Amino acid sequence: MTETLIKSKNPNRVTSHAGISSLIVFSVLLMCWIAGFASRLFAVIRFESIIHEFDPWFNYRATAYMVQHGFYKFLNWFDERAWYPLGRIVGGTVYPGLMITSGGIHWLLHLLHIPVHIRDICVFLAPIFSGLTAISTYLLTKELWNTGAGLFAASFIAIVPGYISRSVAGSYDNEGIAIFALQFTYYLWVKSVKTGSIFWAASAALSYFYMVSAWGGYVFIINLIPLHVFVLLIMNRYSHRLFTSYTTFYILGLICSMQIPFVGFQPIRTSEHMAASGVFALLVAVGALKHLQTVLTKQEFKRLFIFGGLAAAAVVFLTVVGLTMAGVIAPWSGRFYSLWDTGYAKIHIPIIASVSEHQPTTWFSFFFDLHILVCTFPVGLWYAIKKINDERVFVVLYAISAVYFAGVMVRLMLTLTPVVCILAGVGFSGLLEVFLKEDQQPVNKEETENEEPTEKKLYDKAGKIKPRKHDSNKSENKGLGSNVKSMVVIAIMMILMMFAVHCTWVTSNAYSSPSIVLAFYNQGDGTRNILDDFREAYYWLSQNTNDDARVMSWWDYGYQIAGMANRTTLVDNNTWNNSHIALVGKAMSSPEEKAYEIMTSLDVDYVLVIFGGVIGYSGDDINKFLWMVRIAEGEHPKDIRESDFFTERGEFRVDNEGAPALLNCLMYKLSYYRFGDLKLDYRGPAGYDRTRNAVIGNKDFDLTYLEEAYTSEHWLVRIYRVKKPHEFNRPALKTDERVVSASEYITKKTSKRRKGVIKNRPTVIKGKRTATKEKTN
Amino acid sequence: MFKLNILAFLLVVIISTVFSAIDVEIENKNIDRTIDLTSQLVKVSYKITLEHKSKKAITNYLFLIPSVDCDKLSYVSARDSAKKELKLTLSKTAEECSYSMTLPNSQIPNPVIYIETIFSKALQPYPTEITQAERQLVRYFGNAVFYSPFKTSSQKTTIHLASRNVESFTQVKPSVHSDTQIVYGPYENIPAKTQNEIVVHYENNSPFMVVTRLERTIEVSHWGNVAVEETIDILHSGALLKGSFSRYDYQKDSRSGPASVKSYKTILPASATGVYYRDTNGNISTSAMVTLKDSVELDLRPRFPLFGGWRTHYTIGYNVPSFEYLFHNGDSYMLKMRLIDHVFDDMIVDELVTKIILPEGTKNLKLITPYSVERQPDTLHFTYLDITGRPVITFRKTNLVENHINDFNIKYNFSRIMMLQEPLLVVVFLYLFFLFVIIWMRLDFSIIKERERLHKD
Repeated sequence: MTETLIKSKNPNRVTSHAGISSLIVFSVLLMCWIAGFASRLFAVIRFESIIHEFDPWFNYRATAYMVQHGFYKFLNWFDERAWYPLGRIVGGTVYPGLMITSGGIHWLLHLLHIPVHIRDICVFLAPIFSGLTAISTYLLTKELWNTGAGLFAASFIAIVPGYISRSVAGSYDNEGIAIFALQFTYYLWVKSVKTGSIFWAASAALSYFYMVSAWGGYVFIINLIPLHVFVLLIMNRYSHRLFTSYTTFYILGLICSMQIPFVGFQPIRTSEHMAASGVFALLVAVGALKHLQTVLTKQEFKRLFIFGGLAAAAVVFLTVVGLTMAGVIAPWSGRFYSLWDTGYAKIHIPIIASVSEHQPTTWFSFFFDLHILVCTFPVGLWYAIKKINDERVFVVLYAISAVYFAGVMVRLMLTLTPVVCILAGVGFSGLLEVFLKEDQQPVNKEETENEEPTEKKLYDKAGKIKPRKHDSNKSENKGLGSNVKSMVVIAIMMILMMFAVHCTWVTSNAYSSPSIVLAFYNQGDGTRNILDDFREAYYWLSQNTNDDARVMSWWDYGYQIAGMANRTTLVDNNTWNNSHIALVGKAMSSPEEKAYEIMTSLDVDYVLVIFGGVIGYSGDDINKFLWMVRIAEGEHPKDIRESDFFTERGEFRVDNEGAPALLNCLMYKLSYYRFGDLKLDYRGPAGYDRTRNAVIGNKDFDLTYLEEAYTSEHWLVRIYRVKKPHEFNRPALKTDERVVSASEYITKKTSKRRKGVIKNRPTVIKGKRTATKEKTN
Repeated sequence: MFKLNILAFLLVVIISTVFSAIDVEIENKNIDRTIDLTSQLVKVSYKITLEHKSKKAITNYLFLIPSVDCDKLSYVSARDSAKKELKLTLSKTAEECSYSMTLPNSQIPNPVIYIETIFSKALQPYPTEITQAERQLVRYFGNAVFYSPFKTSSQKTTIHLASRNVESFTQVKPSVHSDTQIVYGPYENIPAKTQNEIVVHYENNSPFMVVTRLERTIEVSHWGNVAVEETIDILHSGALLKGSFSRYDYQKDSRSGPASVKSYKTILPASATGVYYRDTNGNISTSAMVTLKDSVELDLRPRFPLFGGWRTHYTIGYNVPSFEYLFHNGDSYMLKMRLIDHVFDDMIVDELVTKIILPEGTKNLKLITPYSVERQPDTLHFTYLDITGRPVITFRKTNLVENHINDFNIKYNFSRIMMLQEPLLVVVFLYLFFLFVIIWMRLDFSIIKERERLHKD
């Protein structure tokens, strides 16, 4: 609006002004991209270019498979190395967007003869996409507010820890690209609502399609956009623009989203998606009514509105209820319920509750992940509400719903972060507009110069700043004093600097650990030691076991074993089959001989446990053990009871006061096998567990059905081989204690008296039936 | 008369060259044989003093290896008394492999030949499976006397062992065991082609490791760098591990697992930089690099200690400056590099595949190798900014040991103007890109004036 104003007055100035501002926008966005990319590289610089944590390993493995075998083979991939003996239909149970994106980049680069390994593409995908996220955030904020706010928002999202936590180099997960898709879809949606053009709405639908292919969080979009439309209808802001954009978006988006094999018919059959179709019906109805309004008289219209409206509402409601009852529309899934009732998962689905990132968020992590933005984004929200229009309604709804979800689950902090950045950008931009802007001068020239104050300070143009200061000194008595202004500006700058420092600190300390390589610093000389036990043990598995060996471990390590050791696992991080996981949990929490039965029934060759007692690693299997018991109890309440694993006082302890069920279960034995002999230092007692700060209770035991196959250097990973039935250590008898029955002994020396024996010949005793005959009868 | 003499002489020459093997008048006057069994290899060196009964000059000599040992033989070389390398020609029969050599035509009455042979996989672990704490015992099957087509008047064999512990050895009097040595002989007047089998069963805890496959890739850049990458598969070929591996025992006692391999040293060229040591799961963090005066020594520790039957696989790579290896005269170049490099001491390499990637646009390739190799068909390799692809020379050889570390030469032509091709490609691309952007930004493709409508809100 200002640009057009200027255009009419001074056309010559405009081109140079537009040129400068586009240069500033370009350079700020480029710097955002570079800064965002660079600050995500801590892990690569400290360690190496490697895939992190758990889920990324699966994504990497799937991508590597796709690159090797082609896209269609990938879609039809039946992974027999997971969920033994069930297997997993990978092509139909993944969001393929991530793999297609990196596979596409790989294909393009190799077409240009740039031999980049697929692992490096996977590692650096999320940092590269963070730059795209910054740009789409800029575009969205620009549509909502103005360019200055957009640049602020872009620079915030480039470095904000809440987003970095999911997109550091190596964290090759869906979220890395999904946040870009989310922001870009919203930008296109806002653009289409603004213009009412089918082009933008169709683009939004395509972007939504990309989002659906990338992340399950697309449900957020398909509920938020209808909500936006619905609220606009309530606010009586219906327009043809809205009608065009939503109908186009919904129909195209629906058809596109159903093309993803994993999504399939869900958009028309599950409750999560019903809001979108309901709003679609409503919007069409409102559109029809608006049309009728122009045709009919007022009286007729009123009657039609009341009766028709009520009837239509009843029909829609009853249809949905009826379909749900009939089972055509699936009710809300458990994960979704836990969004409304935070206690739900804990009671009904322990497997969801056992994941730490599904816990409710603490206020601390809000500040930790967002720092100053969490304080300033209400300001932006207030600005948006105060100057409300169609698209600002959207950002308000976005903010409110995202705040709620972020409060429910730590993981959903990720969806809150972009909107916080947008609104904080609006807030800061508004603040600086007040304090950095010159007072109203009669001279028009000054006004144009100070149009985008936040950008001005970035553009080094010393020659023009001086006279401006001079001017402001002149007008000191009008409005705010320049001292106040400069103090506020300096304070804001300080806060922003602290924000940048905080972001870097958090990124470096909290979010840049690959978690498969651990590093610690010696207290004495400060040298860095690397604990590479995970890779050591996984590599041992990959090199020195049979190719078809089956490895049983808790589900956390399933993806890593498949990715790094390339061996068959029983359960993995996909957690789609709760009873299978419960069976593994049951094996882990049973005594050895019962566990052996389960293990032979599952054809287990090796058992892998994580044990942190030697180095004090807290995330080991004994600390996770109660979840195994709980999940096992959920499926096998007769055999496993959680209460058995607690002491009488209700404590979970591994020392000699611990519950007998715990001290004799398989997990305990596998973790502590021969640990009772180990002295960690000369003065301490043998068998001292550093993680739980206790001397273990059951020290002296032997394994009958398993044998130690490999233990990594720091005992972090222990692998046991399950013996075949003929290899058991039968109870050892000393030679002199052995009793050999003499009657069965036939000496060969007296050849004359030796009886001839025919094998399996029935011995016939008169008056009795032979033993073999009895059996057949 | 004179003619006849010449004819007769020619006949003798022809006969003597064809049937040199059966010049019965040659005799091994003295044989000094040393069998080195301290490592996993069997290194046999011979000092052979010859004598001709009719006091004629000896022009040819035949060295035999019984066919049982033929495919275990990995390296053989012969030198004369002046330490000059003699050329060996191999011919195989059902009984033996025979290496014939032509002696320099000198008039020394008793010429001396030094022969060195190395056998791989000739030591057999016995028992074939041991537990973690047990020592590794191996058996050596050999011959108490020198196997020769000629009569031997006097000979002596010294066997060097890896330790003092000898379980058993075949007695062929006189034979003496003392400390880490067994001496067979001296024996007098042994007829030709005598075999007298001996078995030495002794303790040998030196690393038994076989590189089952080594793929060596050398990528030459004319911008001053040669990148070398080796992908290595290693198998511990000693006695297999029986039962479980106990980390507790392994940590408690540093002598535990005597036959296992914790680490080994790889020696790289002195100018090697940017060394990496990784496998499919990423960097192997347990290695140390020491830069010495004439080499770079890498102390490589596999992710896990290698016990009998365990395998590992890794990649090692480094860069060396090209001026040390690439020589040129105008447009003709010569690359002189090692065909195989050191992996660990006393190594055995089952299969070697060496690939040499030359710059794009090289012509008239000519490969010269120090020993015969199996040349594979040439291929093309595409990397950064390539259009026609870089020629790749591939060759293969099996059963190699340390003595095979030697240089190959590749001569080729390359016009230096070609070096400018790649930078120019980038320049042209960027130029076109900017041109495109400049034009694009100045054109208006919209069919309506959207700008004004947008700003009405």
